[in-house]
Amino acid sequence: MADAFSSPGIDMPSPTVSSRLRELAEYLAAPAAGRLTEEQRALSLGIARRFIADVAARLDPAIDSAALWRDWLRRGLPGGEPLAAACYARAEEYRWREQSARRAAAFAASVTEKVAPAEPGSADAVSPETDRAYLALRIADRRRFDGFGHPALALADVEPELFRTMLQAVAAWRRAQPGGDAAQTAECDEAVCAAIARQKDESGIDHAAAAFHQALDVMVPDAAAKAIAAQDWTALIALAAVAARRSYDAMAFALLTAESAALPSLLAPLRLDRAALAPLEASLATLPARAVGDDAAEPVP
Amino acid sequence: MMDERIVRGRIDRAGALLSADAPLLHLQQRAGSGLGKPLALPHLARLVALAQRLQRDISRPLHTADDQSDIHALVRITPDAEGADVEISDWRPRPADPPQVPAIEDSLATPQEWAWECDQQLRLVALRPGAEAPALPADWEGRSLSELFELQPDEDGRFPVLRALARQSRFAGQRVRAELDAGRTQMELSGHALFDATGRFTGFRGVAALAEAEEADSAAPPRADPIFGSLPLSDPRFGRRIDGALRGPLSRIIATAETISGQFDGPIRADYARYAGDIAHAGRHLLGLVDDLADLQNIERPGFQAAADEIDLGDLARRAVGLLAMKAEEKGMRIDAPRTDDKMPATGEFRRVLQVLLNLIGNAIRYSPENSLIWIRVDREGDRAMVTVADQGQGIAADQQAAVFEKFERLGRTDSGGSGLGLYIARRLARAMGGDLIVDSAPGQGARFTLSLPARD
Repeated sequence: MADAFSSPGIDMPSPTVSSRLRELAEYLAAPAAGRLTEEQRALSLGIARRFIADVAARLDPAIDSAALWRDWLRRGLPGGEPLAAACYARAEEYRWREQSARRAAAFAASVTEKVAPAEPGSADAVSPETDRAYLALRIADRRRFDGFGHPALALADVEPELFRTMLQAVAAWRRAQPGGDAAQTAECDEAVCAAIARQKDESGIDHAAAAFHQALDVMVPDAAAKAIAAQDWTALIALAAVAARRSYDAMAFALLTAESAALPSLLAPLRLDRAALAPLEASLATLPARAVGDDAAEPVP
Repeated sequence: MMDERIVRGRIDRAGALLSADAPLLHLQQRAGSGLGKPLALPHLARLVALAQRLQRDISRPLHTADDQSDIHALVRITPDAEGADVEISDWRPRPADPPQVPAIEDSLATPQEWAWECDQQLRLVALRPGAEAPALPADWEGRSLSELFELQPDEDGRFPVLRALARQSRFAGQRVRAELDAGRTQMELSGHALFDATGRFTGFRGVAALAEAEEADSAAPPRADPIFGSLPLSDPRFGRRIDGALRGPLSRIIATAETISGQFDGPIRADYARYAGDIAHAGRHLLGLVDDLADLQNIERPGFQAAADEIDLGDLARRAVGLLAMKAEEKGMRIDAPRTDDKMPATGEFRRVLQVLLNLIGNAIRYSPENSLIWIRVDREGDRAMVTVADQGQGIAADQQAAVFEKFERLGRTDSGGSGLGLYIARRLARAMGGDLIVDSAPGQGARFTLSLPARD
């Protein structure tokens, strides 16, 4: 891409100029396409930053992740498109859920009378197994936030290939730091292997989603409809992902980029009434700056 | 860098930003929103929603960020029927390093805190430590909040978190003890309620902050198997062991009974809920007795001394009234407290004098008829500073007035209101501070208890 700007009479651009020229070239190639908002950009960057800090800590808690981040901001982040896709998908899911949470809070504030507690034995009563599985799903979901409640990528949920790439990049950065020696290099390589092995043993949100789906058994359609009514998008995404044999992240991304007309087919395995989808359609439609793709029903690469 | 200005904004009922001073509007725009659109700053939006739900002013630290800086500020939200006013002060932008990107947040707002979240059954779904916070206990996931933290009752024997659970509201000041690697740690929980789109309560989210260190006596580790028989009753360790052995189980009994009484897991038969309420009440009474016995053990040991703080009896009386005002209000009683300019400098230990006044005013509330008046006056006679608590109760006959200061003396009362140790302890404390506690009363004419202490010029 940079070669395209090496026209006669123009010096090789600085990284900043080069970046802006690339951005402009991409804009000129598709002027009508929507661009990232500042919020999307900041959220994705924050997610990347927390992810890199977590990867570095997993490799060795002594790594100065702040210095690593500063360095990579100057040179560019490794990970390429897989990292961008993971951060963007998580950021969009977060924006969607935050919007729903704000509206739910506004709704709760506008309700003057308290909602009556559920009667024992009503449809809200769930088996202990389902209750535990839902609790595990909530725990797995909350691992995808930092202590402030900002969105993050849980290491157990990250694609193994991306995780390996980032581990190796952090290890390479560390080896390049002054003062490193052969012993430290060997330790670093061992730490990469150990971290990869550890991730394989970890169960993340996909595992929790599968357990929740299994616990519900024939109650899945009912639970999915209730999740939509309550705007409990974590539960809906989890059930839809398992029903469609996709990962949680892939299903979240598919929903977030789906046209309204594509939602029924996307969620067909859940056997939901069309009417039950209305709150979902409304919620997605009101998400500002949402990018809708034509291939939402296709798996995310 | 701190900005002294107040940044103001106005939010409507639906959560849209109607008007805003430049810094707030700028932030809203950088988050991809604008005027007339939903507030795009998640933390602020949550606080606004909370204030609207509670319909009361709230003041909180605010943390937000755009792609250029992290912003720490204090926000005061005043809700009304149409929405809420927002006033942001102490606006501290912290430029990111390098510019153009948010700074790395490697710690919580208060690095010593834990952030936590639980579901509607108080089971923990998230627990994250600040950079300087104690390490998390192992296996916290899915454990009950009351299992991980030993809940401690407040001064009224109640548990703020359980009350909040019943009301599905925010809470603060829930004292707890946690068993950590570093040993038993005193912490304080606060949190706000979470709801889904159908208005169903889904849990709490909050922080656990390290509390101030406990007194040496109560910080002693609990004895798993106290061998009471090997210690004489007069040994201070006997009292501490009883205290440690009883407090935990009683706290759990009260917590469980309140959970049942509040019907947090769904409706139960009304008489069962009432029985559970009785159990909680009795548990609180027993806990009060444990407190009194622990106090008794402490003040009766040889060499007990109270601190000689410079205190103002008028100020302490007003504080005590503030703490018990709700109790008096429940009985329709009025307390005529010293005016704010009524000062009476004296020498005595601040918390012990407050303890005596709480006992005197608490007794007055407990034993006076509904809708009656309690008055409190401060005065000075020579080198004595005095505070008098008078009520319109049934009074005490002259031949019984000395007896009320005896241990376990309740003048034939059999209700569960007290242990019969309060006035005994109060007088011992007064005398340990170089003062005294006397009563002046007659049957049918109420009682006047006067605490005197060395006056200070």
